Amino acid sequence: MPEYTINVNGQQKKVEAVPDMPLLWVLRDLLGLTGSKYGCGIGACGACSVLIDGEEMRSCRFPISDVGAAKVTTIEGLSKDGSHPLQEAWIEHDVPQCGYCQTGNIMAAAGMLRSKPNPTDADIDEALGSHVCRCGTYTRMREAIKAAARGVK
Amino acid sequence: MTTHLSRRSFLTVMGVGGASFALGYYPTLGDEKGASLEPNAFVRVDPDGTVTIWASKSEMGQGIKTGLAMIVAEQMDCDWSKVRALQADGDGAKYGRQGTGGSGSTRGMMQQLSQMGASARAMLVEAAATEWGVDKSTCRTENGKVIHDASGKSKSYGDLASAAAKLTVPAGQVPLKERKDFSIVGKPTLRVDNHDVVTGTAVYAQDVQVSGAAYGVISRRPAFGATLKSFDDAEARKVPGVIDVFRVTSGVCVIGENTWAAMKGREALKCDWDMGPNAALNTAELSKRLRESVGEHPAMPEGAKVVDATYDFPFLAHYTMEPMNCVADVRADSCTVWAPSQSPDGVQSQVSRMLSLPIGSVTVKVPLLGGGFGRRGAGDFVSDAVEASKQAKRPVKLLWTRDDDMRNDGYRPMSHHAMRGAVIDGKPVAFNHQFIKAQGGSTRTAGTPGNAGLTYRIPSATQMNGNAASPIPTGAWRSVDHSQVSVAVECFIDEMAQAAGKDPLQFRRENTSDPRLLKVLEVVEEKSGWSKPLATGLSRGVACFNGYGGRTAHVVELSIADGEVKLHRVVCVVDCGYAINPKSVEAQMQGACVDGLSTALFAEITIENGGVVQSNPLDYKWTRMNHMPKVEVYVLENDPNPAGMGETGYPGVPAAVANAVTAATGKRVRKFPNRLDELV
Repeated sequence: MPEYTINVNGQQKKVEAVPDMPLLWVLRDLLGLTGSKYGCGIGACGACSVLIDGEEMRSCRFPISDVGAAKVTTIEGLSKDGSHPLQEAWIEHDVPQCGYCQTGNIMAAAGMLRSKPNPTDADIDEALGSHVCRCGTYTRMREAIKAAARGVK
Repeated sequence: MTTHLSRRSFLTVMGVGGASFALGYYPTLGDEKGASLEPNAFVRVDPDGTVTIWASKSEMGQGIKTGLAMIVAEQMDCDWSKVRALQADGDGAKYGRQGTGGSGSTRGMMQQLSQMGASARAMLVEAAATEWGVDKSTCRTENGKVIHDASGKSKSYGDLASAAAKLTVPAGQVPLKERKDFSIVGKPTLRVDNHDVVTGTAVYAQDVQVSGAAYGVISRRPAFGATLKSFDDAEARKVPGVIDVFRVTSGVCVIGENTWAAMKGREALKCDWDMGPNAALNTAELSKRLRESVGEHPAMPEGAKVVDATYDFPFLAHYTMEPMNCVADVRADSCTVWAPSQSPDGVQSQVSRMLSLPIGSVTVKVPLLGGGFGRRGAGDFVSDAVEASKQAKRPVKLLWTRDDDMRNDGYRPMSHHAMRGAVIDGKPVAFNHQFIKAQGGSTRTAGTPGNAGLTYRIPSATQMNGNAASPIPTGAWRSVDHSQVSVAVECFIDEMAQAAGKDPLQFRRENTSDPRLLKVLEVVEEKSGWSKPLATGLSRGVACFNGYGGRTAHVVELSIADGEVKLHRVVCVVDCGYAINPKSVEAQMQGACVDGLSTALFAEITIENGGVVQSNPLDYKWTRMNHMPKVEVYVLENDPNPAGMGETGYPGVPAAVANAVTAATGKRVRKFPNRLDELV
């Protein structure tokens, strides 16, 4: 079985995997990073979203063989202690309900804020519009993103 | 800590407030180490001051772990920052009924948990009073401390825990704090799991790390009623990482070293299915059966203006964000499952029966549930994992893929509603609602006496329920029958209002005498600006609901452009009785609003060749961020008892959308989801 060395959350990780194994299962089953979630397996819900070189990517459709030297950031690597402005805003605005989709949404928002530090409603719609939150936390997510962008907790 | 076995032997059943339920009271045994106070199964006070409170109902996003802990902590006068809320294991003997649904957790446990907290507080007070040699009635409690004002003495609960643990748990009822003195209950409070969720450390079932675990997926029947004739696993076994392939009740299970191997193995598996008796069944046939089950409407009064309407509702999937799954570790003489279940005690019984194990040998861990909405009351995903682990002879993390989940649900039943009503001089005088569900065998429609469960005063109101034969499995879905009955009623009330020549909101107000419903209607009228004209292009609809001890009124504003409905604003007014955690009340209303918008406009499950067509978030469309209108929630508290909130926020939303669609188009909605080319 092929061996890959990938950069996850700033660390070099060696894994043995078939080339088509999606990054999601590499992270979850081989590396024990379970913060990224399986929701649909076809890249249509966003529960598995991570950052690849700072851009949001659906890890359930991204094969390990395509990762190469790219830097993978998962929710576990967004901050050491939950202190990323988005995480703090998420807590303070009491966003999560069941919580299952939330890490994917936070990663998508983090990707957006890199290029759009002061997002408009339309920017938020675009960045998160391909995610599903089945509990319907959209109203609070939007508030939390705006608060994080303002630097307000 | 002493073992639970010795304490369990003291389990008694006591009647409290007329109700008789297992309280889980057991006298605290004098712990040799003098450590923690554990007056009952739900509360523990440790010497370091930590107060642990176990939630016996499952946390699935409704905030129950936080809310139940607040109720206990309030009566204990805890320092909330020292409260740790944990999910209890599934253990019926210890916790009583743990089924989580019907918006019943807070309503059902309020009294019991208040007593648990109050009796713990009483023991801490007694311990302090004894030590200080003062009358316990001269002591008070505040923020995790017992205080004696006259002497200026105070002591923390942690410091009193071991002395209190030596005392006898109060028998019978302990006086409770009154609501006017509450400092925790009623205060907007952040969820206890927020930090874990946003850091990715929150544990859902598939996240548990179990040594030696393998991963399993199951190839399932293509149609309801299909049976497996044979399977060929030769190719599946060649897939790298596939460990084993075997038959289980629900199909053929592929076990892999990781999830991907199991999934790829399943792809390579060849199953030969006998499609069974439903191979030709489709939605049109079920719809025909529903319509054929409608009986005669009763005669309407002479001289009345008669209104007729029908409404059709589709099957709905629960579509929890986390698909069904379970982790099981079956051993020769015991079993542990990590079950995201809405019925943890039921899972314990189920596994005990399946494996012929004593109930005490089955451990049910309850991780966070990635959504429930009624789906996780069933035990099918638990059976899968237990069977798989038993055969694989190792722990198995059994996962339903999204298409498994979508196509093997217990669906909100498809239904047909035939309505007839009559108005005279602007007043409703008669109403008949025939509600036919596609569920189980065919039954005749039977009438309900009284006012058909209506919240409106209509002199002659009847509802008739019946079933049309259907093999499609059904289950409880958010607000259960209200998700269609109350929606149909609220659409029809608009049609009656039109026949009566009345404004739909005024018509509702004129024809209900329920003061709480009148109030939410009054407030929604004011907050939505109902009496003021809307901006050009906007239309609105109203609907209300009375159920689960609560009341809601919704106004939805929308426009129609390029053949599509665009949502602009939802105003929700809820009377929650009183709020344990106002933040959770608001969250439930916001969430139910998304369900209501989704099912009003997009989502439906259809049947072809005896199976479900939809399989993923693209063909079972749910509202997303970019479809979201502005949602405003106003919370009223007009009852001494907290109402259930999980179910309550739903029914008004789809009805208000439908009524707004009618206002925008001048045409009536006859089907859900509402499609503009299907209006009449």
